[in-house]
Amino acid sequence: MKNPKRASSPEHSDGDSRRKKKMNDITQALSVSPVDVAALRRMAISEGGLLTDEIRCQVWPWLLNVPLHILDQEPENVDRENNKDYNQVLLDVQRSLRRFPPGMPDEQREGLQEELIDIILRVLKRNPQLHYYQGYHDIVVTFLLVVKERLATALVEKLSTHHLRDFMDPTMDNTKHILNYLMPIIERVNPEVHDFMQQAEVGTVFALSWLITWFGHVLSDFRHVVRLYDFFLACHPLMPIYFAAVIVLYRQDEVLDCECDMAMVHHLLSQIPQDLPYETLISRAGDLFVQFPPSELAREAASHEHMASSTFKDFDLASTQQRPDSVLRRRRRQKQAALENSASNSVVARPSATRRFVRLAVMGLTVALGAAALAVVNTALEWAPKLDLFP
Amino acid sequence: MAGKDYNHLFKLLIIGDSNVGKSSLLLRFADNSFSGSYITTIGVDFKIRTVDINGERVKLQIWDTAGQERFRTITSTYYRNTHGVIIVYDVTNPESFVNVKRWLNEISQNCDSVCKILVGNKNDDPARKRVDSQDAAHFGESVGVRVFETSAKENINVEEMFMAFTHMVLRAKKQSQNRAEREREREKDTVNIGAQRDRDRRKRGKKCC
Repeated sequence: MKNPKRASSPEHSDGDSRRKKKMNDITQALSVSPVDVAALRRMAISEGGLLTDEIRCQVWPWLLNVPLHILDQEPENVDRENNKDYNQVLLDVQRSLRRFPPGMPDEQREGLQEELIDIILRVLKRNPQLHYYQGYHDIVVTFLLVVKERLATALVEKLSTHHLRDFMDPTMDNTKHILNYLMPIIERVNPEVHDFMQQAEVGTVFALSWLITWFGHVLSDFRHVVRLYDFFLACHPLMPIYFAAVIVLYRQDEVLDCECDMAMVHHLLSQIPQDLPYETLISRAGDLFVQFPPSELAREAASHEHMASSTFKDFDLASTQQRPDSVLRRRRRQKQAALENSASNSVVARPSATRRFVRLAVMGLTVALGAAALAVVNTALEWAPKLDLFP
Repeated sequence: MAGKDYNHLFKLLIIGDSNVGKSSLLLRFADNSFSGSYITTIGVDFKIRTVDINGERVKLQIWDTAGQERFRTITSTYYRNTHGVIIVYDVTNPESFVNVKRWLNEISQNCDSVCKILVGNKNDDPARKRVDSQDAAHFGESVGVRVFETSAKENINVEEMFMAFTHMVLRAKKQSQNRAEREREREKDTVNIGAQRDRDRRKRGKKCC
């Protein structure tokens, strides 16, 4: 899709060479042993993200620590009729035509829709603790279109037990809780916008579909969607809420010009502009994450809440969100044990030595990267071992 | 408010099971369009249409909601200050009709008193129809809710349904205004008497409570 006219301009050839360099860097990071995942994370975050779908097929599994030999496994068959979620999944997949490339022949699209249903049902069946939500299909279709059925199943399964875990609870209490991070972020950057929105009582539901579909539901250009997925896959699971805040802040003038009324502000913010400067916003979201990390916002987010979820109350306030299932289960067992043996009181604190080591390792490796991006990578890494993303 | 281009502003809410055609009904009424390939509604949003009722401009702000059960905790906030709720089921899907009871329950949990209307959508193919008009009518009678059958796709009865409902909501507003007016009158009388008594008391140098 290169435009020959623009290719000859110095500016563009500059971009071209940068692109080429990035491709080389990615190939390099993939070819060393062990694979340089920290470098891959930086590539996914920095300008342009992972550039092409071919690269994504190779890099996304590393960002989620999904071993590639998973592709050798034959995907299991899906018993559609006896699946409690089948009807809802079918309805949503049937209504997802817009998510497929416009020129795609019907037959091909229909085949992909069948695969989409199978992936979703397979992941849900293997993880009965996960609950389907409308919008989950928007995430899965993105993976299906980029990495094809088999790999998509593995990546989506990992994502569902990690980044998306809170959205897949039986209720949406934890989803609501995560939305509560939005206003404190906005307040720190622009109190005027924050106060205006509070006065309008607009709430945060306008950002709901952004959050639970990683913007897949609302952006019409697929290239923008996958660019964001590069970013989110490389970062802390709360990054999408920082990105949502950045979009609101980017539109601050429009917001302040709007009638201070719940409906009007909700409507304005719900209609996401399609021509957002994604690269700028991505780096801004990274900056905000570094300046105001989730741990700093956690208490405020909790105070926004009338009804804290039990998961949330049970554990330490900071970073309880989007715990991987393994951690949740471990904690549940620990809680159980604690109940049975009331003397036991050791729950949270995990050794941080590994984390510190990873952080130092990254520091040594990331000379060329801006401080903010470096810190984002650090937090992602800091977070990643906790979530068993690394072996 | 100065420069207001309407006499009344009503907030309406459309609820009902997933895939019964809530968004399609709204799009047909607000934009007079239909597309077979709608996307799932996630969360809530609204559309506006202003209609004329007996020479009065009525602005309708109609909120569309997600149908999946787990979203109810989110959508329940939007019942606040609602003037009317449109409960939609799909005449080709009996389960969506059975669930109407649960939606009515949802309304009574979130609103004190609100106008309601029951709408059986996708009523354009007799061969696929699985919810009998009679059954729907009986049910509507039993719960005191008017029933309409529509097709957003074929543009059948959509306009009529929304207009009839707007009439209902407007009538309800006027009735409650009249009631409030009468109450205010009565209160004024009471206040007058009370004030008189107060003055009398003060004259006598006694204080109330």
